[in-house]
Parts: sequence; structure tokens; C-alpha cells
Amino acid sequence: MSMEDYDFLFKIVLIGNAGVGKTCLVRRFTQGLFPPGQGATIGVDFMIKTVEINGEKVKLQIWDTAGQERFRSITQSYYRSANALILTYDITCEESFRCLPEWLREIEQYASNKVITVLVGNKIDLAEKREVSKQRAEEFSEAQNMYYLETSAKESDNVEKLFLDLACRLISEARQNTLVNNVASPLPGEGKSISYLTCCNFN
Amino acid sequence: MADNLPSEFDVVVIGTGLPESIIASACSRSGQRVLHVDSRSYYGGNWASFSFSGLLSWIKENQEKTDVREDGEDWRKLILKTEEAISLNKQDNTIQHVEDVCYACQDLAEDVKEAGALPKLPAFEASDTREAAQESEKESLPVQSQSLGTENCEISPESVTCNDPESMTERKDAEMTSERENLCDAASDQSALETGKTENVSTAEAAALKPKKITYTQIVKEGRRFNIDLISKLLYSQGLLIDLLTKSNVSRYAEFKNVTRILAFQEGRVEQVPCSRADVFNSKQLTMVEKRMLMKFLTFCLDYEQHPEEYQDYKERKFSEYLKTQKLTSNLQHFILHSISMVSEADSGTIDGLKATKHFLQCLGRYGNTPFLFPLYGQGEIPQCFCRMCAVFGGIYCLRHSVQCLVVDKESGRCKALIDHFGQRISANYFVVEDSYLSEKTCTNVCYRQISRAVLITDQSVLKTDSDQQISILTVPPVERGQPAVRIIELCSSTMTCMRNTYLVHFTCSSTKTAKEDLEPVVQKLFSLNAETERESENGGGLEKPRVLWAVYFNMRDSSGIDRNSYDTLPSNVYVCSGPDCALGNDYAVKQAETLFQEMFPKEEFCPPPPNPEDIIYDGDGTQPEDPGFSSSSNAKTEPSPEESSDGDSCKVSEEHHEE
Repeated sequence: MSMEDYDFLFKIVLIGNAGVGKTCLVRRFTQGLFPPGQGATIGVDFMIKTVEINGEKVKLQIWDTAGQERFRSITQSYYRSANALILTYDITCEESFRCLPEWLREIEQYASNKVITVLVGNKIDLAEKREVSKQRAEEFSEAQNMYYLETSAKESDNVEKLFLDLACRLISEARQNTLVNNVASPLPGEGKSISYLTCCNFN
Repeated sequence: MADNLPSEFDVVVIGTGLPESIIASACSRSGQRVLHVDSRSYYGGNWASFSFSGLLSWIKENQEKTDVREDGEDWRKLILKTEEAISLNKQDNTIQHVEDVCYACQDLAEDVKEAGALPKLPAFEASDTREAAQESEKESLPVQSQSLGTENCEISPESVTCNDPESMTERKDAEMTSERENLCDAASDQSALETGKTENVSTAEAAALKPKKITYTQIVKEGRRFNIDLISKLLYSQGLLIDLLTKSNVSRYAEFKNVTRILAFQEGRVEQVPCSRADVFNSKQLTMVEKRMLMKFLTFCLDYEQHPEEYQDYKERKFSEYLKTQKLTSNLQHFILHSISMVSEADSGTIDGLKATKHFLQCLGRYGNTPFLFPLYGQGEIPQCFCRMCAVFGGIYCLRHSVQCLVVDKESGRCKALIDHFGQRISANYFVVEDSYLSEKTCTNVCYRQISRAVLITDQSVLKTDSDQQISILTVPPVERGQPAVRIIELCSSTMTCMRNTYLVHFTCSSTKTAKEDLEPVVQKLFSLNAETERESENGGGLEKPRVLWAVYFNMRDSSGIDRNSYDTLPSNVYVCSGPDCALGNDYAVKQAETLFQEMFPKEEFCPPPPNPEDIIYDGDGTQPEDPGFSSSSNAKTEPSPEESSDGDSCKVSEEHHEE
């Protein structure tokens, strides 16, 4: 429970169609691995990586879909307390790009309105099979006010950058929010604090 | 997404209500291959929560269940000679007498659409046409008409367009309120297209001129702020569900808030019930003598078993009669009977009352100064949290997936497979089915009770105080004998279940008639149904009732407490889960889940703590995770207790555990 371990803790959530490489991105970043097969993540809820940015320790808690995207059955609660969302598609798969609006709808519906969304086109190592041009993706992400990045989990291209840039943005957002929060009206967690030690029980 | 479903599992769970979800998670956790399906497009069944537009389509669906289209019985061909089929329900019949009423200003309602609701995209072909129709209906409600493009985002292979200049401003909900008020009041004849434009109007004057008045338009626009529970419950802070959540670590997927007030309704007035020691001493409504009486009685209740002589003679009598013999004023008797023990005046015995009072007292102080917790975003989150746990351990999830029938092997009498709506045969050893999926034929001899429900969106709290962020529970005793008591839970916007400046008020009782007949008299006692009348001048302010902006009434089938034998001819490896019961807590569902799980897997532990994600060592050829962890799940046991939370009364059960 030691708050001393880090200066910031952020919850990052990955979404996107099955097979676009979400788990690979997470494992590449957190463990430096490129897993050849799937299924290695049974029992793992999220992965943790602590990074240092400008001398500050930032703990990233990165959540994967647990396969629920396979039949479009992601639970709403998955989105709830995310600070950032990484919306991933596969540049070699048109279908995964065409599904993005549906994913955005879910975000709009269930995620916090302060969430930062990054659009990621993965698998740029398979350039010869590309189906979605960079320009189209850029236009789309611009229209949706999202950051955009192309990555290769396999070649480790832009993976560090993706998470580190995100961490930077989250830090600056967090700073701004703490300023805003002083004036803002009720948010979850506000209200009088209850000391759990002072027991109001009858014994 | 045409992904193939495996055709062999250990356990198939049909229905995503709380008990089914707990069982799915327990099975998956113990290494079973689990398939969890629901024919609906959302999680939770009758335990679900909906956004406002989601609820409107749910209402519509339940009001219009007319044509159950028989899809033919093609699947019958797939049944072998040695097999028999038990067909399942195609339609949910558990909801009746649904009636919604809007009391708020409705001028622009027809052209409004919930922010962020995108049109259905061809990219997502639904699995069958009927469902596709239902779904797009769901997404486009409450607008029958099209949305005139104000909120549409389209994306096509050729061009990426977004004709939605407003969508970003939509997210900044905070500032929008005053603008919308302005709209509804001033611009009754404007179309939604113009709505977009007018929103740029300067807010300052509008806000200064108009007092807060929420319109139906605003409710629809802010629809996604609502998470409206079909069933209204709370978590006892010492109860089976909290224990299970913390033990299994499923609590990490949810956040909770403490209920802040226990209320009572006496002689037409709502008042706060002091229940903790501090409350009692600080209470201004109780006299010194009353304080002493109450403390003495409550202290006795905490260990009433030790003093049987105190209530020996009243064991067979009613708790209400017993209270009369104690040194308690009628005011205090009312508090204890209706707000603390919450047992029925008419038919609860002394022991029941004492037991309930004791439980209430034991729950105090664990997380705060009332015994109850409420999950942020609604009760509907809880089943989903268990589903997430199941998925993390490999369970496969399919919403919008209906099952045609169960296939029984004639010789062994066991269920061996099911046939889904694609005609795919999926085999398993165990089948868990929620009651509402069982056909009329299977349930011929089953006798169901009903729950009466009402949900109100109101503009003020039933008991105004300095803080407008209160979560309250209130029990209104019956006026006439034989009537049920009505339980009311009022939620504020910081529970993430309703928009700012509104309250969501849940009414629940066991049915004697239709929900409206049962509950409307109580609604009228507490609320004003005429939202259009201007408020009386400021001087009368304190006494006026909060206004109802919108309400829905419905009856829900209560399938709890049904003897398994009353279902017709179910194979022994088919287990039945009930829908929600009428009680305040969730003990029934948890107990049922644990019992059924133990019947299936007597040797397995029920939902043990999973390994801490930070303690897992990954095998394989790669590098280790940053923190050298512990490999075994047993020493990763970290029972997170919400006490560790420090941020006010939001008890986020911490995800952060030690990294020794």
C-alpha cells in the first residue's frame, strides 16, 4: 500500500478487435517479450510496469480484455476507472479498422469523460500486407480528437514510445485535474472522510 | 466477428445474473473450461443497470412482447434417436405491467438523442436478423426519427468523415446544463438541428435568469450518466457478498460508496434515524432519556443471545409486540422496527427482529457509519465483475447468444449438450441455467411470487441537508394490514447512477397487485407528481416535496426459494439459478451460487483469491517481470480490505498490494 513506491499510478486499458495484437503490445512493453502464441495470459488481470519520467516514478497498470472482445462481450465495468484507453487495430486488417466507431461508441458510453484515448495501428512489421493507409488513420484520429501512433509489437517499434508518451500526457492531465478539482463539484471519492479506525460500533 | 466457438466445455452457464456469474467465475477459477452465454445484448439479466436510453428500449421491449416468432424447429433434426430435447424459452416473461410516465418538460424530446449513441454500423453484422433489429432499435431509442446528423460519426473505407462538431463539447457535461435549460424553455418549436447551433449561446445570462429545472430533453441528452438498476439492493458491509468480493479479489473491479443516511417516515415526515453511537449522542431530535433508552436497547441487541431471559416470553410473539414491552418511546420503536431491523411489523417474530437488529449493528463501522455499501455505477456492475474474473481465467463470453435446447441422453438421463441459435452443438458436463430461460412446460408446476418496482428521477432529495450528495435508505411501513412495507433507496449523482442535479429513487416491495397500484400511493406521499407547477415562493421552501421528473413502474418475477423438484424433468447435471429476490441484501444469490458450485465440484474451493498480478512469474524464455515475485498463488493471498482505502467515503478496494 506504500504510496512511496511511486508518484503516480495510472490505469491503462486496451481495447480493439480480437487478434490485433493487444496482448503482444502489453507483453512487449512490460516484459520485453513477443509471445509467439496466445493463451499465455490465463489468470493475469493486468500487468504492471513502473517507469521513470523526469525523475518521477510512474506506475502503469495495464489491463487487457481477457478475451471478452472475441464475441463483442466486454463488460462495461472494464472501462470504468481507466485513465487512458489504447484503441488498437491491425494495419493489415481493414475489418479491424472499420470496427473503430463501434469501439468509440463503447468508450463514449462507459468510460470516464476525462479518459485519454490513443489510437494504435499495430503490425507495421507486415508493411507488405498493409490494408489501412497511415493517412486514413491519421484523418480518422484527428476527427475523433485522438492521438495516433503506429507500432510493431514484434519489432518493438514505437512500443516504448506509446506507453511513455501516454504516461507523460497522463501526468500533465493529472496535474491540471488536481488544480481543477479544488473548485469542481462532487466526484466519486469526495465528501467527508471517514476514519475507519474510529469505530462507531457499539462495543 | 465470425469467430468460431469451441464445441466442448466443462461447464456451460446460461444467463449472466449474479448467481450465474458467481458460479461461472468459481468454475473458471478452479480450472474448468467455461462457456458463459446470454441471449440478451447486455450483462446481468434482471440484475442489469441501464443508461436512460437503454432503459427506454428495455421498457419498449417489455411492453411490446407480442409476436414470439417461432423460428421453426429446425434444430429438432439435430437430435439423435437416442436423445431427447428440452427446449428453452425464446422470450423473457419475467417482467410485467411496465408503465413509464414523464412529468418533466418534454418540448424537444422527439428529436433528441443520447450523446454518443452512434448509428449501427454494417461492419458489425449481428448474428441473426431479429437481434439486429432489436439492437439497432436499442441504439436509436428514444428517437424514432433520425437524428439529423448532429451526433453521427461515420467511417467508410474511402473517406473518413466526422460531421460532428459538437461531440467534443458534449463531453464537458458540466457546463452544458444551463444552456439546455435555456433551450427547453425558450425554443419549443426548434428542431434538433438547431439545437446544435443554439448551444453556442452564451450561458451566463441563461443561468442567471432561470432556476435549475431539469427537462426531459436534458435527461435524454445526459442519458449515459444514468445507470438505472432493474433490481435495487445494497451490500451489507458484513455480508456474504462483501466477503466473497474481498476474498476472491473481484472487489478490485468495482468501487463502492457508503450509504450515508438511514431514514424513517413517520406522521408524514421524513427524518434521519440515528444509528451509530455517535449519531445517537449527536441527535437533536431525541431527548436525553430517549438517547439512553435507545443505547441501552441496542447494546442489549448486540449480544441478545446471552440474555435469553429478556425475551423468553416473547419468542413466539411478534417483534413489534416485544418492542412495546421495552422501555422505548413509540418514536424509538418505529426506528428500531422499520429502519434498523427492517422486519415486517405484521409477521416477524421477536427472534427475527433481534437477529436483524444485531446484524445491522454489526455492520456499522466497518466502512462507515451506516451498515451499507452501494457499488458505483449501479448494482449491475457486480455480476459483470464476476464475469471479468471468469474471463481472466479463460472463460469464454458470448452475449446475444441464445440456446435452442438442451440435449439429454436417454440412456443416462444426463444432459450432454446444447444446441445454440446457429444450430451448433456444444457439449459439456454441467449446465447452469437461469430460471427465466426455462420453458413454460418445464415450469408448469412452479409458483412464482412477484416484486413491485418503481424507479423515479427526481429533482431533490426526500430530506434536504447541506450536502446534496447523500445516499439514503428509507422503509415506509404499510398503511393497511396485509400490505407490504416499501423499501426506498435514494441515490445521488456521485454514485454515478444519475445526472447532476437529479436523484434516482428506487422503490421495492413484494407485490400484492401491479407495481403501480402497490407503489404509487407511497410515491405520492413523498413526491410531487406535478413537475410543471412553479415552485411556491421561497418562504415555503423547506416543506415542499421533491418533484418527480420521470418514473417507471414494473413487476418482476421473484424466482427465489423455488424447490428444484418443482421443475419438470430436469437432468441431474442441470442446475437452476434464480433471478433476483426481494430482499435488501445479496445473501440469497451468493448462497445459491456457492451451494450449486459445491454440488458440482465438492472438492474444489469456492472462489479462492487469485494470484496477485504483481506476483506472477511468467514462464517461458523471456525476461522476468520487473519485480521478482512469488510464483505460487497461495502465498499471494492478499485479502484487500476496504479499510485500507483512504479517499473519503469511496471505498475503492485497493489494487495495490505489497511488493516485498
